[in-house]
Amino acid sequence: MGSYGSKPVKGSGWYLPWVIPALFCFFWWAVSATGLVPAYLLPPPRDIVEAGYAYLLGTPEGGPYAGRFVRDAAASLWRVFCGFSLAVAVGLPLGILSGRLWVVERLTGTTVNAFRAVPGITWLPLALVWFGIGMKATLFLVALAAFFPVFLNAAAGARQVNPLFLQAGAMMGVKRLRGTFAILLPGAMPHIMTGLRLGLGISWAYLVLGELTGVPDGLGAVIMDARMLGRIDMIVVGIIVIAVMGRITDKLLQGGLRLCFKSARRMP
Amino acid sequence: MKTRLKAVVGNRAASREDTLRFEGLSKGFHTAGGYLPVLEDVSFRAEGGELIAILGRSGCGKSTLLKIAAGFISPSSGRVLLNGEPVEGPGPDRCVIFQEDALFPWLTVGENIAFGLKGRKQSRKARAEEMSRFLNLVGLNEFRDYLPHEISGGMKQRVALARVLILRPEVLLMDEPFAALDAQSREEMQCLLLMLWQELGHTILFVTHDVGEAVMLADRILLMSKNPGRIREEISVSLPRPREREGAAFAGLSRRLHEALRG
Repeated sequence: MGSYGSKPVKGSGWYLPWVIPALFCFFWWAVSATGLVPAYLLPPPRDIVEAGYAYLLGTPEGGPYAGRFVRDAAASLWRVFCGFSLAVAVGLPLGILSGRLWVVERLTGTTVNAFRAVPGITWLPLALVWFGIGMKATLFLVALAAFFPVFLNAAAGARQVNPLFLQAGAMMGVKRLRGTFAILLPGAMPHIMTGLRLGLGISWAYLVLGELTGVPDGLGAVIMDARMLGRIDMIVVGIIVIAVMGRITDKLLQGGLRLCFKSARRMP
Repeated sequence: MKTRLKAVVGNRAASREDTLRFEGLSKGFHTAGGYLPVLEDVSFRAEGGELIAILGRSGCGKSTLLKIAAGFISPSSGRVLLNGEPVEGPGPDRCVIFQEDALFPWLTVGENIAFGLKGRKQSRKARAEEMSRFLNLVGLNEFRDYLPHEISGGMKQRVALARVLILRPEVLLMDEPFAALDAQSREEMQCLLLMLWQELGHTILFVTHDVGEAVMLADRILLMSKNPGRIREEISVSLPRPREREGAAFAGLSRRLHEALRG
């Protein structure tokens, strides 16, 4: 982004992302193999691999969690998708408006910044009372939590668009509608993208929170269920699966934006 | 070269009547330190096809004058008329070349040049042809698919020129457009501008603080004074074109203007 630091030579350093996970796995293996940490606190990597394999690819006869992955992942993905979409649908246009129009900025600023300070988890009891356990409460938590980064970054992006771009558009005879889509949004794209990525990340966090409350399926539900049954290995599998899914959806989001928008593709 | 240019744009017959007219223009701003008058009672007329340099030190309100002409800000009193019609906001009949880089960084050179054409009733193919003509005109043929951050400052200003020329504006408003360039690029751009101007016959208001640049380019120089900004002197430049920086007449006029700016 900035001019500091070094840029990678193409094709080099492909292994760098895997160094930390590999080291981590090695130490994990080392502390379990030497008996430093007992298996009921942290099962050895081998157990995790076996539990993970059964969870992902096993058949229902293979044990309590075998083969449940597809159903859980689909349920969780759907909840994240719905909650995040809701947050974007409201937060993005409202954020852009608030960045450009002082009336909207004045109208929303105090409220948004006050509630931004309230940790999302505080909404959980209320969500349970209002919506009960399940999809609606989870959706509420995810959408609420993801709204803030999406809104705030869109507002900052819209506010900080180079005024020369807008003047240049005006003198070239660009009207308001085209100006919004051809100048304002592309100009705010770096901020918008940051907001969306942060929002999606937070969506996963609040998804798990919503699912911990006792829904029958979903990745958070598996983790909570495994804790009750004392299946530490399944908790770890759940954590890893969420990490991987979070990373994949982040990449998909970035890739999707780059595919659809020149301004995302050509960020200097 | 000449025939090519004519074929490209068609000769806009330089009509010798006043195109742009400034009438008693004043502008001030309310600041923390009180009311600050920037322009006071500025009046002048630009004939069609005339190249006028507005010369002054920084803070004399010359950029403000240009912004009013562009329609980005409105005057406190007075008005600007284009062909007898009052100016009431920005529009493609009065295009601005900014000092800073104002190209859209997410569009290629070619896309930047074609930007203003979109939304006009024109086929995609006609737009593409138009774009490559103007790309050619500013000598950036091979750079069509480059992004603004990949080309030099001089090239960026060429793109800025092409993207407004393609709209066939009546008036070009240039706000110290070459001030950020190195000396060589600046001279190149001055040559390019003169060549385009002589062929296309736009009316040009060229704001600058560089005496040599004003003498090199202008038919007429409006010398501005500071606090508040007023037109102090109007100097017709009768040096024959193409002008040579080395000539005695050039040097003499430059010296005179330098002294006037200092005083």
